Amino acid sequence: MISKTEESQLNRLENQVDNGGGGAWEYLCLVRKLKVRRSEKVLKHGLSILNDAKQRSALGPEEWTLYEQLALAAMDCHCPDVAKDCIKVLQKKFPESKRVGRLEGMLLEAKGSWAEAEKAYSSLLEDNPLDQVIHKRRVAMAKAQGNVSGAIEWLNKYLEIFMADHDAWRELAEIYVSLQMYKQAAFCYEELILSQPTVPLFHLAYADVLYTLSGLENLQTAKKYYASTIDLTGGRNTRALLGICLCTSAIAQLSKGRNKEDKESPELQSLAATALEKDYKQRASDKLSLLTSALRSLKI
Amino acid sequence: MGLGFMIGVFGVLILSHAAYSTIQYRGLLKIMEEEFSGPPMNVVLELLLGFFFCIWAALTVPGNFLSIHPESEENRIVSLSANLDFMIFNHRAKVFPLEIDMKLKH
Repeated sequence: MISKTEESQLNRLENQVDNGGGGAWEYLCLVRKLKVRRSEKVLKHGLSILNDAKQRSALGPEEWTLYEQLALAAMDCHCPDVAKDCIKVLQKKFPESKRVGRLEGMLLEAKGSWAEAEKAYSSLLEDNPLDQVIHKRRVAMAKAQGNVSGAIEWLNKYLEIFMADHDAWRELAEIYVSLQMYKQAAFCYEELILSQPTVPLFHLAYADVLYTLSGLENLQTAKKYYASTIDLTGGRNTRALLGICLCTSAIAQLSKGRNKEDKESPELQSLAATALEKDYKQRASDKLSLLTSALRSLKI
Repeated sequence: MGLGFMIGVFGVLILSHAAYSTIQYRGLLKIMEEEFSGPPMNVVLELLLGFFFCIWAALTVPGNFLSIHPESEENRIVSLSANLDFMIFNHRAKVFPLEIDMKLKH
């Protein structure tokens, strides 16, 4: 979960390091802490630190974490030689380490030799059958080979044992959405919201899935979750504001004939529309006319 | 920071002077064998003054307060971290080789 200050700090450090201003080690630490995937930059700046003997000795025991980070970034950028060298260095230092064994398995995965990677992971799992990361790598391997149903099966088995792992729930939700199995995806997002209720992006994704499922109750619940996203982000999430407008007009269309007790007050939609117009005027004033025409067509 | 710190030290000195005056006043009352009802007015004023100086220094010296609202401009969550446990390497970067030849040199 990256907050606005952390994002601006990351961008600032990135600009600074890219333009030769130093601070590469802080940048790498921040990337590691925030768990973002900036593999090219990590590779470039990590190599510049490790190839310089003076900077390398200045790191002390943190050197090995940097080797690990660099190996992963190299695999991601398709430089298997760099990754192999890093893993060799780590192996020399930590001979019987499971973490290094995992890196080797990931290198086999990156090279595309799926069967050998599977063998490596199974042997690691024999020694330690409850290693969470290896289980997750097996799921990732199934996904990479295109075997999405196999990935879902593995992931469900994993979640039966480790029910509190919200990364896995998130991955499962995304897989279900990609397969258009929206009811199951809604269940996964509900688990995520239960475990982390203050992250607005999960509320937003859940509302999106409910809006896609459609149907009167789903639309009403989706509207509530768009509203809670707006609450949690202080009104700065454009997608949630648009979601409220769309939900209200869809509900109005669906319940046109029914004439039930009219508890849908139009205030929320007009407030959301006003907030959207203000936001567009401030940030993209040339697109304001598009927005007003779209909103007008929604207010039927 | 220097000014706030000096004012804080000054406030502590005023408080300790007020304490010393009160002890002296009590000693005087013991000699005159009267009841000790409370410190005299000027000591009370000195106490209030020292209190305000110390509070002001305590609030200004440590620096700016951070926002605690989760929806404030600094604290709001803008993106989720990439799910690195499920990272796959089977993506399009294979056809975009890096321009510089990267090697680990040692």
